[in-house]
Amino acid sequence: MVLSGWEAVFFWVFSIAAIFAGLLTVMARNTIHSALFLISSLVSVAALFILLQAEFIAGVQILVYVGGVMVLFLFVIMLVNVGAEERGREEIFNRPRQVTTSVIFCALLAAGLLYAINVGYEGLARRDAVPIKAGAEQRLNQERNLAPSATGSSRISTETEKVGGSLYRFGSLPFEIASVLLLVAIVGSVMLARTLKQEAAVDDVPRETSVAELAEIKDEPFVQG
Amino acid sequence: MPILLFKIFAPALSLLFQEAASGRVATAWQRAQHPDLSKFLVIGALLFIIGVAGVLTRRNIIVIFMSIELILNAANLNFIAFARYLEETGSVNAVAGQIFAVFVIVVAAAEAAIGLGIVIALYRNKETIWVDEIDILKW
Repeated sequence: MVLSGWEAVFFWVFSIAAIFAGLLTVMARNTIHSALFLISSLVSVAALFILLQAEFIAGVQILVYVGGVMVLFLFVIMLVNVGAEERGREEIFNRPRQVTTSVIFCALLAAGLLYAINVGYEGLARRDAVPIKAGAEQRLNQERNLAPSATGSSRISTETEKVGGSLYRFGSLPFEIASVLLLVAIVGSVMLARTLKQEAAVDDVPRETSVAELAEIKDEPFVQG
Repeated sequence: MPILLFKIFAPALSLLFQEAASGRVATAWQRAQHPDLSKFLVIGALLFIIGVAGVLTRRNIIVIFMSIELILNAANLNFIAFARYLEETGSVNAVAGQIFAVFVIVVAAAEAAIGLGIVIALYRNKETIWVDEIDILKW
């Protein structure tokens, strides 16, 4: 798995963009800016996925994260009041001692992880030297045999086909469990986010309450608490 | 002791150019032109650490949630990089890494929905998004 030529250039561009956008996510004072920087970080990581020939995951990343989760984040940011933060009255970080401890912890974590990657990858590369070389050549041959696209300027990858096949062949049980999890998440978030008034309207209404009264409760303007 | 410290921190200081720490600048440049698995792992590790720093230092609960998304995304990057590596070294079911990444994305979406629901409910009752003011569960 060795990139070269333009792939390497794009790797550096997108990885540096991802890291800087990630840093700005954590550092930005305005929460909306944080969300936008997180979106650019996620898009850069999606580009890295494309460099790794995981086109399906890249598409899912952009559709689900940028299209779904981040829009949810933006809605919530706009629902809660962040004005004080924007005007610069509130401190956005914890107290200095907590921040110092966290930064020291993160530096140690970085040192440990990077040291482990250095040493571990050297050993891995030494062990897999032959398969890596053979695999690269085999991949080049495979890419030459792929069907050309309609315009003829590129070739159609079969990676998504493999992912789909494997997902339903080996991962169908986790797939079903994931769908149940999503259902639970939807029901849970709806339940969490409703007001007391709405709860009263659904749960604690005596049987004899007429339909008209119920409608009246529901039609009242939104009351907090 | 200083040698041990240097050995631990040199890769961290040189960040992406791991080889440059030991004076092999030419090797580092050569490797930078051909990024392999280790470079992707380093990017993933850095994103993870940025996310951890965000969770530990920020006061805004929504930014903490965003940092958690960053952490999950870093894990995804590692999954995909290893999937590609295993595919080229001839593993049997190498796309398992990509399938795992799909599940991570699903769980992240569910977690964000629930977490933001809690934020809304909390804001309705307590009028705050600062984590150091959310201490109702403290005895």
